[in-house]
Amino acid sequence: MKILIADDDGMSRRLLAKTLEREGYEVISVGNGRLALQQLSLPDGPRLALIDWMMPEMDGLGVCLEIRKHHERPYVHIILLTSRGSKQDVVAGLEAGADDYLTKPWDPGELTARLRVGQRILQLEDRLVEARDSMRFKATHDHLTSLFNRGIILDLLSRELSRTRREEGCTVVMLGDLDHFKGVNDTYGHLVGDEVLREVSRRLLASVRSYDFVGRYGGEEFLIILNNCAASKAIVRAEEVRNAIAKHAVQTIRGPLPITMSLGIFASRDWDLCLVEDILREVDLALYAAKAEGRNRVRLAKPTALSAGPNQQVE
Amino acid sequence: MTQQGDRSSQVKVNLDELLARVENDHELLCELIDIFKEDFPRLMQLLQQSVSRKDMRSVEAASHALKGMLSGLSVTQAAATASRLEEMAREGKTSGLIDVLRLLENEVAGLLPELDGYAEKAKP
Repeated sequence: MKILIADDDGMSRRLLAKTLEREGYEVISVGNGRLALQQLSLPDGPRLALIDWMMPEMDGLGVCLEIRKHHERPYVHIILLTSRGSKQDVVAGLEAGADDYLTKPWDPGELTARLRVGQRILQLEDRLVEARDSMRFKATHDHLTSLFNRGIILDLLSRELSRTRREEGCTVVMLGDLDHFKGVNDTYGHLVGDEVLREVSRRLLASVRSYDFVGRYGGEEFLIILNNCAASKAIVRAEEVRNAIAKHAVQTIRGPLPITMSLGIFASRDWDLCLVEDILREVDLALYAAKAEGRNRVRLAKPTALSAGPNQQVE
Repeated sequence: MTQQGDRSSQVKVNLDELLARVENDHELLCELIDIFKEDFPRLMQLLQQSVSRKDMRSVEAASHALKGMLSGLSVTQAAATASRLEEMAREGKTSGLIDVLRLLENEVAGLLPELDGYAEKAKP
């Protein structure tokens, strides 16, 4: 584990470094507070720090105060190491953001024991962050496919549409539906159906740019949001997505299955619609048109179709 | 290596404490002594100049640094005197400052040769 030593006294630095290296730490030593802050601000910087109080350029309290301003960064466990040992000093050090306090000259045994306490706290923090991230992921992603879930993809659509209007750009929305998917479930069972959904999701993600969004809208329906995509490119991009699904059969435990997708497309630039519900209605109509015209195809929503409805229900 | 019991009244370093601190690592002891010998004269000079200028902030900083170095090498008595100087400077007490400085100078007189002796004996 990396550990930072910040002390303007070269002897203290050397002595500490030796003790800590013996304990297996990867030691980084600096001689002032400014350099300490620099090291602790690096993305993969140390998360354990032994900081002297009185140092040139920035003192130990200054380092603590600066570090604690940045809640978004991984937590750094700071031990103030100083010859200032009065009660007021201890209180001032802890109030500034230090987690622990050791007075010089230190006892090597006590120092390493306190560092182990710091490590335990950091490990606990890591586990909490991991649990929080996992819960956040579960709350925003579909369990089966790991795509964005319906709630989140609709939020993202709303946000993207607002941004597009503000910047006078164009967002392309695609609603894709797997053709005859009910037949897959009925013939091969739901486990195979799940395999197909996972593979389709993987192909969808692979066929769009890293900053586009893909979400599971319903059972076998997927919503794809292409940010800053020219309306003229919408059909080409949708054909790429369709082809990514149809080109190769999906390998399943019951053998390869030919899977196709129909897509309705909506390019915001062509319309004067603001509400997500209106846009979903239009892209849904385009999807129905693609289904009605034979499936495994894409259809672009046209403004003239605003009030039109599907002639028939199709799967 | 000189044993504590054999040392004369001039001995400044609490050698047992120091060896415990470096965990009997003689190579490390030599390294620390080298660092000390490099930094100590400069800091003493800075302290003397600061006292004569009555620059209390500088006195505080220099005596604080000296206190750390001296206690790091277990030069206990001199470290306590440096701490006294630091305290006086922090409180802005100029009266008696020179006397305490002289006391510190006396306490560290002969320290460098003593450390050289330890370093020589500690060499493999």
